[in-house]
Amino acid sequence: MTKLVRELMHPGMITCKPDTPLGQVAVLLDHHHVHALIVADRDGRPLGVITDFDLLAAEWLSTDQESLDAMRRMTAGELMTFPIDTIDGRAEVCDAAARMRHDGISRLLVEEQGKPVGVISVSDFVASLVEARAIERRTVADVMSRAMLVCRENTPIAYVARAMTDASYRSVLVVTPSGRPVGVVSGADLLPFCGDEDAYKSTAAQVMHEILTIAPTASLREASDKMIDQHHHRLVVVDEQQPESIPLGVISTYDIVGMMAQPGSVWR
Amino acid sequence: MSKQPVGMVPQDRSERARFENEVQRIVEAGNQSGVTLRLLGSLAFQIHCPQYGYLQEKMGRAYTDIDFAGYSRENKQVRALMDSLGYHEQREVFVVSEGSRAIFENGRSDMHVDVFYEKLDFCHPIPWAGRLEVDSPTIPLAEMVLEKMQIVKINEKDVIDTIMLLLEHDLGESDQETINMGRIGQMCADDWGLWRTVTMNLDKVRLLAQGYPVLEDRDKARVSRQVAEALVHIEAAPKTRGWRLRARVGDRVKWYKDVDEVG
Repeated sequence: MTKLVRELMHPGMITCKPDTPLGQVAVLLDHHHVHALIVADRDGRPLGVITDFDLLAAEWLSTDQESLDAMRRMTAGELMTFPIDTIDGRAEVCDAAARMRHDGISRLLVEEQGKPVGVISVSDFVASLVEARAIERRTVADVMSRAMLVCRENTPIAYVARAMTDASYRSVLVVTPSGRPVGVVSGADLLPFCGDEDAYKSTAAQVMHEILTIAPTASLREASDKMIDQHHHRLVVVDEQQPESIPLGVISTYDIVGMMAQPGSVWR
Repeated sequence: MSKQPVGMVPQDRSERARFENEVQRIVEAGNQSGVTLRLLGSLAFQIHCPQYGYLQEKMGRAYTDIDFAGYSRENKQVRALMDSLGYHEQREVFVVSEGSRAIFENGRSDMHVDVFYEKLDFCHPIPWAGRLEVDSPTIPLAEMVLEKMQIVKINEKDVIDTIMLLLEHDLGESDQETINMGRIGQMCADDWGLWRTVTMNLDKVRLLAQGYPVLEDRDKARVSRQVAEALVHIEAAPKTRGWRLRARVGDRVKWYKDVDEVG
């Protein structure tokens, strides 16, 4: 059965007022972990949308003090895009996706009976793709995370910690300039630096632990065996034909548990 | 309009001929040596407007110097060429401009030649990589329009040159005796600041043209039509998201570089 926009959208709106300064817009975007705010009048009526991309203008154009002052005076109402693109909550999701692709837009305000009820964005479609993925449990390649968070050996750990926090990742793979994996930094590796004001002076190479590798064709049982035996929470999945190249992915306890928790898995 | 009427002084025919002959001499020598040098400025407009070029003299638009566009990879050949023609380079200009500009002086003829490498970069950059081959002996007509329309504090001499060009040439999508609006539209679509200045100046040209008694009514009407058509072309060019974002900031942030005196 075809999904409707109202089923995929985020209900409600995160708003700001038209006279909100850009700095405050940045604070709100960061606080709510969203890419856009709906600019609404005092009665809550949507006037426009302001996004993280729009805020780039502040840095882009503040080339001197005069420009910086001008940008600091700008408000959400002055920089917002308007009118807002809207879609009815009863529309089909594929129609919303087609419209966003055709118009080159990242989000639509969802309305029902002329009233705003939520927002549907690219992120919602991405999340739906994850849900739609067929559940397989044959090999490491079926379950591993194919996108990785990586850093170089000389990356200060303060930046490693920031990347892990921002991306909600539990580890960072340390690679050489050519992409060869040389270690992993996990939360446990960073624990000793808690409260250490000099933490920023250490690098990923100084705190990382060794990697354990596994082939993408290995079974989940082999992966579980290796993790339990070596007491590692993650394995780096390497291409056996090109072991020196950038890895294919990472499989962690989180990936395996996530697979087990999926609706339709043999564990449910 | 600025207060100083730069380039607006009476100039007799013999003095104008002296500039025109010198340009001819440099262009011929450049062609023989294989150096890519293309004329811009008042003399380029004169050469490209055989029918309406008389307006410069009639409206008191004087030649002041000779300007060329070139490629920086040929700067040594340009220097050798100008040396062979009796010119001495103000070497410090080339150094201070980081190789983007050269000035040559001829003490005997009291001629001054500017060479701009790769681009004209006053209020807005007008690059000509790959464009100097499409016309000769001047830069293409589209770049001639942009050369004038990129000046925020535009002078009367620039308005007169632009009027001449709009009277002489049709707008179109090619460079053959046509003002290539595809090129102008694309450049304005890439840079909101350039769009802002060009559209502002085109409107000034349209307005000021109506006040020149030397222009006949049909000429004034043609300038108006040409400007209106040019603006339609410029507005029709698809704009990027960055362009639209810059447009929302608008005049709150300065959109051009300051230039004390252009051309």
